Amino acid sequence: MKPKIAIFSLTGCEGCSLAILELEDQLLDILGAVEIVNFREGMTERSWDIDIGFVDGAVSTPEDEKEIIRFRESCKTLVAIGSCACLGGINTLKNYQPEDEYRRYVYGDKAIWFPTIAARALSAVVKVDYELPGCPMIKEEFVRFVKCMLTGRPFELPDYAVCVECKKKGNLCLYEKGVICLGPVTRAGCDAICPSFGSKCEGCRGILGHEALCAAGVNLREQYDVSLDDVLADFRLFGAYQEKDLP
Amino acid sequence: MWVQEARLPTAEPELYIPKPARILRVRKLTEYENLFDVAFCDGRLLDHAPGQFVQVSVLGIGECPISICSSPTRPGTFEMCIRRVGSVTNHIHRLGEGDILGIRGPLGHGFDVDELHGKDILIVAGGLGLAPVRSLIQYIIDERSRFGEFHILYGAREPKELLFKNDLTVWRERQDVNLHVTVDRPDEQWRGKAGVVTTLFKELPSLNPSETAAVVVGPPVMFKFVVLEVLSRRIPQSNVYCSLERRMKCGIGKCGHCQANNVYVCIDGPVFKYGQLKAMREAVE
Amino acid sequence: MLDRIIKQSDFMSVVRELSRQRRLVGPVAREDRYFYEVVDEPSKLDLSFNYCVYGPRAFLFPPTETLFTFDQRDGHFEAKPVLDNQPLAFVGVHPCDINAIRLLDHVFAEDHRDEHYLTRRENTLIVGIDCLKPCTEGVFCADMHGNEAKDGFDVMLYRLHEDNDEVVFGVVFGSKAGREWMLYSRACRTPTAMDEREFEEYQRMKAAAFPRRLKTQFEELPALLDRSYDSLLWEATARRCYSCGSCNLSCPTCYCFNIYDEVDMSLDSGARKREWDGCQLEGFAEVAGEHNFRPKTASRLRHRIYRKAKWILEQTGIPGCVGCARCDRACTAKINSVEIYNQLAEEV
Repeated sequence: MKPKIAIFSLTGCEGCSLAILELEDQLLDILGAVEIVNFREGMTERSWDIDIGFVDGAVSTPEDEKEIIRFRESCKTLVAIGSCACLGGINTLKNYQPEDEYRRYVYGDKAIWFPTIAARALSAVVKVDYELPGCPMIKEEFVRFVKCMLTGRPFELPDYAVCVECKKKGNLCLYEKGVICLGPVTRAGCDAICPSFGSKCEGCRGILGHEALCAAGVNLREQYDVSLDDVLADFRLFGAYQEKDLP
Repeated sequence: MWVQEARLPTAEPELYIPKPARILRVRKLTEYENLFDVAFCDGRLLDHAPGQFVQVSVLGIGECPISICSSPTRPGTFEMCIRRVGSVTNHIHRLGEGDILGIRGPLGHGFDVDELHGKDILIVAGGLGLAPVRSLIQYIIDERSRFGEFHILYGAREPKELLFKNDLTVWRERQDVNLHVTVDRPDEQWRGKAGVVTTLFKELPSLNPSETAAVVVGPPVMFKFVVLEVLSRRIPQSNVYCSLERRMKCGIGKCGHCQANNVYVCIDGPVFKYGQLKAMREAVE
Repeated sequence: MLDRIIKQSDFMSVVRELSRQRRLVGPVAREDRYFYEVVDEPSKLDLSFNYCVYGPRAFLFPPTETLFTFDQRDGHFEAKPVLDNQPLAFVGVHPCDINAIRLLDHVFAEDHRDEHYLTRRENTLIVGIDCLKPCTEGVFCADMHGNEAKDGFDVMLYRLHEDNDEVVFGVVFGSKAGREWMLYSRACRTPTAMDEREFEEYQRMKAAAFPRRLKTQFEELPALLDRSYDSLLWEATARRCYSCGSCNLSCPTCYCFNIYDEVDMSLDSGARKREWDGCQLEGFAEVAGEHNFRPKTASRLRHRIYRKAKWILEQTGIPGCVGCARCDRACTAKINSVEIYNQLAEEV
């Protein structure tokens, strides 16, 4: 029996579900091995008998909250894809601004029609079985995940920093150019794509762990005369840290 | 023109290539451990020493180190006691008779049985530690006349975690094997002794320390206390053997994962003498 | 003793000859730094480079490589090794990196021959270029005996002087292959007594140009570490360490690797691969069942320093560190190995 797959979107750009369509060559292989039963971006028919449900976007509206609970109940395995679903993502930027302000800024005089709540990762609302973080989600990781599910193997995210992949690619470390990059504390798996193109890592795959963050606090203050808060302002971009993670 | 030709590999590059072996029999030992009886598909014999290990492969999933728990004195097939704990072992547990596994080995340094010949033997095993020493126990039983007195102390946390219960029954019935078994947490059916494995030392007769070799295999927490008991019986450090568990990935002293201080457990061990180990703080702490 | 003398332009023409038969790897300028890269055109090499950000290890021991491919369709069990015997030439390798390759040669040949490394290595010609002074600040190669290579190369060049704006190299042969290649060019000449005197002067200048930065002699480092196992310095330094592995991954002597399987979409065929790993990464010493034999950052940091200055030397007789300081430069937390050795020396 082919596993029944669904792909859902909450608040976000839906770029991660589109990334699945962009798999091109591998998409056909995957489609041969699974049955897609619910995918707004790619089909009109819908079914709610689902083995694995992939969800992108954050829980950012009361409607999202209801939907994610419904998805959870319908899916045997629930997978958060992309930074929004795994961490809260860009949506969480609004959590640091007064609600009146950002609603007026975004919706103008229609704001009253668009109720909103603090943006959160899926795991803040329901139990999530797997997370495939990144903005956008890493396609290769998605394929690896699908293979693991098809062969009954456990799936694990890399448990090391972006620096590992960056060094393997032979990049010049951005710190040598005076750039504070979040690579040393961010989970790898992206093949260090941002530093490889000269941009600092902004932590879209999330912080590796409390210990690394503590080391960052010590180093940035003592070695670079930068406060951790300033750097974490960068990390906020994707919601990669929450106040409780602070050293 | 100056010409230089490419050199070809000097040997058959089989270092990392597993050989197919067929599972002949699977026996359930506990909730988590199964015993797999295996033979190479091409009929080759494993030709190992007690205490050595093999790298077991499931192609597409990976490889993990497993100690060989049958004796080379019983050739033809070899046995592995596999606890399902990671992705490879979990997959192996789903396999059955007739299925194929990949095997590399035998690897590592096992017990030097020539050194043990003629000596009284004391084996102390805790938990899964019985698996690697079972090959030695079988060897000693098969070559019984070449050894002196033979004591086995074995401890597990609970009765249901005891490994090789059939073997334990057989060994207990033998006049020439002095076996004592204990569990930390007895249940209602348990008729045997209760307590940690060190409590079994009082069951031992007086030993002839200089003529006794002690073999200690078990989890790190048990290890230190047992070695203390052994040394307090005045068994010389050079006669105390241990087998270490580490994360061997290549099994041939390259990949670095099994380093314990300055040794590679996969090629320098897994069997060590206590004299070597005590300088290895990571092994004993 | 020099074997030959050659002018740079003549040398470059023999390199051109070499490039017809081997893929050339050498220092190339990029982003204000130098990197070892494959070049299709010898003129892209810059032999006046100061240092390369990473050593040439990636061309012998790639960050990721396939050990074998497998196929188990229809109950088959088939595994085929994958080897790379494409001829390579490294042109422009400093003594530190040559010494690092000597260690890799030993490790991959000892006990069990690793044909994946050795096939590549045996098809690689190494042209070294000596350093007359430290290539950059912070290196401690002289302390580690890394700044001189006595063997491990096919040809070694010594920059003796300039003649009409052109460098004149003294040449020492390290192998038969190196000799045959160099002698193919008629442009190199036999050294004269004057050349030999110049070479002696070169050696004297070199000896004076490399400052010692460690308070402890190289030979005494193992004993220093022996006394320092329980130092609080490990814990104190570890507070800054991210366990990001940058030191391992930029080190020319690090050779640890991880092994993993990759399956094709067919799920029945695929490859077993290896990739660079590092003892500073948290999961390095973890066994199935999640027990970690080196769970603390401090114990991993200590492990690396012990490997570099004591254990590898004791096991192989070859220094585990060549003093290139790439680890120190790579560390975004600015953890510095020279500082560690010197602080330990003060403690005892």
